[in-house]
Order: sequence, then structure tokens, then C-alpha cells
Amino acid sequence: MAALLLRALRTGRTLRGLGSAVAAPATSTPRCSSLTQGFHSTALRLQDESKSDKSSSSSSSSTSYHEHYQAHPADQDTTAASHGASADDPSTADASRANTSYQDQSGEQSEEYETEEQLQARILTAALEFVPLHGWTVDAIAAGAETLELSSASTGMFNNGAGDLVLHFIAQCNSQLTEILAEQNNQVQLGQAEQKKTADFLRDAVETRLRMNIPYIDTWPQAMSILLLPYNIPDSLKHLSTMVDDIWYYAGDRSTDVSGSYHHPRSPPTSAHTFLSPFHQHPHKIRPATLQMNWYTKRAALTGIYNTTELVMLQDSSPDFQDTWNFLDNRIQDMANMATSAKQVQSTGEAVVQGFMGAAVTLKNLTGLNQRR
Amino acid sequence: MQRAAYTTDSLVKRWLRHRLKCRAPLQVSMRPYSVFPPVDSEEKKMLDRMMRVDHAGEYGANRIYAGQMAVLGRSRSAPLIQEMWEQEKKHLKKFDEILAVNRIRPTALLPLWNVAGFLLGASTALLGKEGAMACTVAVEESISEHYNSQIRTLMEQDPDKYVELLKVIKEFRDDEMEHHDTGLEHEAESLPGYWLLKNAIQLGCKFAIYTSQRI
Repeated sequence: MAALLLRALRTGRTLRGLGSAVAAPATSTPRCSSLTQGFHSTALRLQDESKSDKSSSSSSSSTSYHEHYQAHPADQDTTAASHGASADDPSTADASRANTSYQDQSGEQSEEYETEEQLQARILTAALEFVPLHGWTVDAIAAGAETLELSSASTGMFNNGAGDLVLHFIAQCNSQLTEILAEQNNQVQLGQAEQKKTADFLRDAVETRLRMNIPYIDTWPQAMSILLLPYNIPDSLKHLSTMVDDIWYYAGDRSTDVSGSYHHPRSPPTSAHTFLSPFHQHPHKIRPATLQMNWYTKRAALTGIYNTTELVMLQDSSPDFQDTWNFLDNRIQDMANMATSAKQVQSTGEAVVQGFMGAAVTLKNLTGLNQRR
Repeated sequence: MQRAAYTTDSLVKRWLRHRLKCRAPLQVSMRPYSVFPPVDSEEKKMLDRMMRVDHAGEYGANRIYAGQMAVLGRSRSAPLIQEMWEQEKKHLKKFDEILAVNRIRPTALLPLWNVAGFLLGASTALLGKEGAMACTVAVEESISEHYNSQIRTLMEQDPDKYVELLKVIKEFRDDEMEHHDTGLEHEAESLPGYWLLKNAIQLGCKFAIYTSQRI
């Protein structure tokens, strides 16, 4: 009986909201958007009610559900009808996902709400503090949520639990690294700093990135094993490959596999407003029958170096991980040596082939085969 | 096939003339050497694929001409092939730049196109000058068709936004058509088995385009 009354009240309010929307759309065009704005305002009002009904945490997470999923205009008409009923139960993922389309349309009304991704990012960042205590687990996320005054039930937002936390941390570190590299590049372009040699640049970039792991180094083996779960492998590989690509890009690599030199001649610093000069500095030489794969081999090599150094760091107990950085130095030297020796082998091979051709021509001359009669 | 290529070309030209009559002001690209407009990630993926396959195509064409020169390098048609090769080198250089600036991954099949292109050029050149010209005709026709379809795609999306890129592709498409016509002028069709060779090569090109877009 009471439920029926509640439902009647709610539909009454919905109709009122509809009426207000139709009556006074300020500058809205006679299209769907005005209707959706009306629905949206009722959505807000109903959510305000439901906020008072339910506990603050679940509703705030549910309002964040009502955000920023793919807004399909087609969905809105169907979801509008179901909105009245589904507002009763905003915690069901499907209904709330269907409802999210509204708040996308009217930006001005969703300013007070952050997107779900932003909220998740905030929770995960807060959770990182608790990782040394709880490890890379859902408990850390729950503790993080609690510091943000959300209920620990917000961990339900994260389908992947600990995987989400680890991936978030990695993404954060990678973007920090990219900022640092971009800043260094900027300084070089402005002439305030010297260009590093490629080997040094790579070493510094990898060291900077690995140092970001140091605060969590005790629990890092757990994080790595989480990343190896089949569910997380595509994401972790994507992060790794993006990071390696970024490092090579800022190291000046502009190879597209046609010609190749390890010490890529980097573009000279141009005027300050062209951030990265787009000049392609390669001597344009197409070597016959070369099977180089410069773009790929460089990135594969750096990936290998990064992964092995990360593993070494896990077992390193020297002061300030000095052993790790020595290992890193040696690996980068190996890579440089391998590149130079590959080039040497190639030029030797070419010289040998030319020698043979010369010998063959000489032989033909001697035996008289070369004469045209 | 040849007639079809001409018709699509004239269609594109007519469409372009119509657009130019009632067009919005062209965007001026801010960065002096950029050919890409600023795009969001979905479009960037599409453009990445297009540029990747174009780069692979020019690379393959280079290797084909290299193979032809390796065999016919001392014959009478050497200067002609050399000139066409130089133009392809220019195209490849441009695509190298585009890939480098826009951080596009080149296709992983480049070593394959390296070897396959060289072998194709060399083996058709062994059939003589007509064989080399027939190979040129087939490849250039495939490439022109491919560029035309890319131009169509970009035009359908937003010709004003892609005006720089369209300029580049159109210029290259015109060069390739010129090579195609040159090949026909130099008695490509007089090769015995021309029809068979041409279709085989074009099938190979279609396969190359399909895989280079994805891998």
C-alpha cells in the first residue's frame, strides 16, 4: 500500500517535471534535446529524493553511475519511459547505464557531478596510500574509498578489483614519465639543456620510470603477478608498449624502417614555438634486400631491457638500488653494441659481395668470356 | 578496368568542382609541415590505417622498381624506369615524414613487401621490357584505385578538414596515373599473357593492401 503511494507520488513528480520542461524551454531547439532536458531535470529531482532515501555512499556512487557512458540518442526515448520505474532502483547497473545518457546532453546540469572515470581515478589514487598496508587488493581500494568519505561498498564499481588498482598506478606513472620527458625535450628545444646521447637518454628514462615503483617495491611482485592474469594482459601490454613508444619518440626516433641507424640523428633544436621539429633527418637510402625492422626492433629491445631491469629491481637489496642501475647500464650498452655490430656485419657483407663480383669479373676477363665477338 | 579508373577519376573531379563552387572557407593548417588536421582518437585510427597502408604501398613500389632496374638497369628502358623510381622515392619520403610526425606505426610486414616487391620487379623484368611495363601498369592501376577510394572516403567525411592530406594524396594519385599511362605507351599490352599477369599482380596488390591495413 505504501509502495503504491510512493510510486504514485513519484509519477506525479515526473509528470510535473515534464510539464515544466515543455512549458519553458529557454533556448532549446524543438528537438529531442528539450525533452531530454526535461527528463534530465526530473532525473535530478528523483535522484535528490533517492539520495535522502538511501545511504549517502551508494547514492553518490549511483549518481556517478548516471554519468558519461556512451550517449546514444536512440536510447533516450526508450530509457525515458523506463526512467520513472528504474529511478526506484538506481543501483542496478543496466538501468543506470541506460540512464546515463541524459546527463551527457546538458553539460550545464552535470557540472556538479564528476564522471565515473574521474571518481574511480580519485578512489584509486587514494587507495594507493594503503597498498603498503593491504597489498594490491580490494581492501586497499575500500580503505581508499573510506578516506574520501565514500562507503567501502564503492569497490563494487571496480569489476577488476586489484587489477584496476595496478593498472591505474601504471597509467599514472607512465603519464608522469611522459610529462617529464616532454619537459626535458622542451628545455632542449629552448636551448636551456643539452641533448643527451641516445643511450644516456634511454637509461635515464627507464631509471626515472622504475624509481616510481620504489615506494611500492615490497608489494610489487604481487602487482606483477596480477598483471600476468590473462584478463589483465592486454591492458598491461598496451601500457607497456605505449610507454616504450613514448620513450623512443622523445629519444628522437623517427624511423619508419626504411633506413636505420641506432644513433638516430636527432632534429636540431628549432625555434621555441615548434615543440618537436617534424623534419625527417634520415639520409634517404634504401638498402637493397635489407630485412631491418627498425621501428619494431628498437621497441622490442627497450621492452626487453625494461622488463628485465624491473625483475632485477625486485631482488635488489643494494643501497638505492645501485645494482639495478648498473644492470640497466650494461643492458643498454649491450643493445648499442649489438646495433653497431649488426651494422658492421652488414657493411662487411657488402664489401665481401663486392669483392666476389670483382673476382668474378676478373675471372671472366681472364678466360675471355667477357669479350663480345 | 582502365576505363573504370578514368570514370571514377572524372567523377571525383566533377564532384570536387561542384564542392568548390559552394564551399566553406578552407582551414589553414597552423603547423607549417603538418598534413594531418587535429583529430580525435577514432578518426586518428582510421587515418593511421590509411597512412600505414600508403606507406607500405610506396615502399613496395620502390622495391618493385629497384628489382626492375636490377635486371633492366643497362637496357634502353633504364632511364624511363629510373625516372619513375625517383618519383616513387619522393612519395616514400613524404610518407616517411607523415608517419614520423604523427607517430604512426609502420606495418610489420615491411620486410615481406621488401622481398616480394623486389622479386616481382625482377621477375617481370626478366620477361623483357614489356613485362616490366605490364607490371608497372598493373601495380599503378591498383595503387591509383586505392588512392581514389581513400580520396572518396576523406571527401565523404569532411573535405575541408582534410584539405592538406587530400592535396598530398591527389598529387600522388596523379603521379601514379602518369606512370600507368607511361607503361601503356611503352607497349605493356603487347606482352603475351598480359591479361593473366595483370590480374595476378592486382590480386596480390589487393591482398597486400588488406593485410597492411591490419598488421
